[in-house]
Amino acid sequence: MNAEPFASVAVGDPIPELRRVVTLEDVRAYADASGDHNPLHQDDGFARSVGFPGIIAHGMFTMAHMTAAVVAWAGAGDRVVQISAGFRAPVFMGEEIVAGGRVRALDRHARTATLELWVTVERDGRTEWPVKKGEALVRLV
Amino acid sequence: MNPAAEGTVYPRVTFPIEPARVAAFRRLFGQPGGVPPTFVSAAEFTALAQVIDDPQLKLDFSRVVHGSQEYRYERPLREGETIAIHTRLESIKVLGATGFLTIVMEMLDEGGQLVVTARSTMIERGAS
Repeated sequence: MNAEPFASVAVGDPIPELRRVVTLEDVRAYADASGDHNPLHQDDGFARSVGFPGIIAHGMFTMAHMTAAVVAWAGAGDRVVQISAGFRAPVFMGEEIVAGGRVRALDRHARTATLELWVTVERDGRTEWPVKKGEALVRLV
Repeated sequence: MNPAAEGTVYPRVTFPIEPARVAAFRRLFGQPGGVPPTFVSAAEFTALAQVIDDPQLKLDFSRVVHGSQEYRYERPLREGETIAIHTRLESIKVLGATGFLTIVMEMLDEGGQLVVTARSTMIERGAS
């Protein structure tokens, strides 16, 4: 674990990128773990019938991946005080999502860091933003 | 969806934090020990059933995509505890064929203390 001691963190520091190829198997496992069996995330024909080119990952799958990047940086899940994500683009099966972020602010009194976060995917030569405006408040030691 | 359902408060729903389910979540996202922060979504989804099934709201869940999500933790969830989820429809806006629904869930422990507040925005896409 890379627990980040407060004194070594500066505004502007990046958090290490976390990459993952999203597979149908993982999305099915996520549906079981979360209880969200919306057919958009399981049934290709259904996803097409509502205007998508294929099955899309749960937004929360992408957010869980983004959160994993924060937890890896902070050292433990219990350091996360607040986390949020706006979902801006779908993620299709077989795509690689990349979670990243940087330190936007530090509170020396509370010993917390505010992170700005995002998740990108490269698609047809363009960068898409499954999460454009993510944010977390993290307690540091 | 029906904008008149804004403000609806639902009966509380309980959700046990089952260690096996937490372990599956940890494996999926390569997390260290403890309950991963976004495991809260499993609790949310359990309580969401009454929103999806609300005959007054008339949400077509098969056309719903997730717009945004926010979690605020007073403390981490603990494996083995049971939380009580209090759900309300904070706002509903319908613009043309698209509906925007913001749901707030407050999750309390067995002692009645607030553990997590979850705020989600759901977007109901118009029929194509």
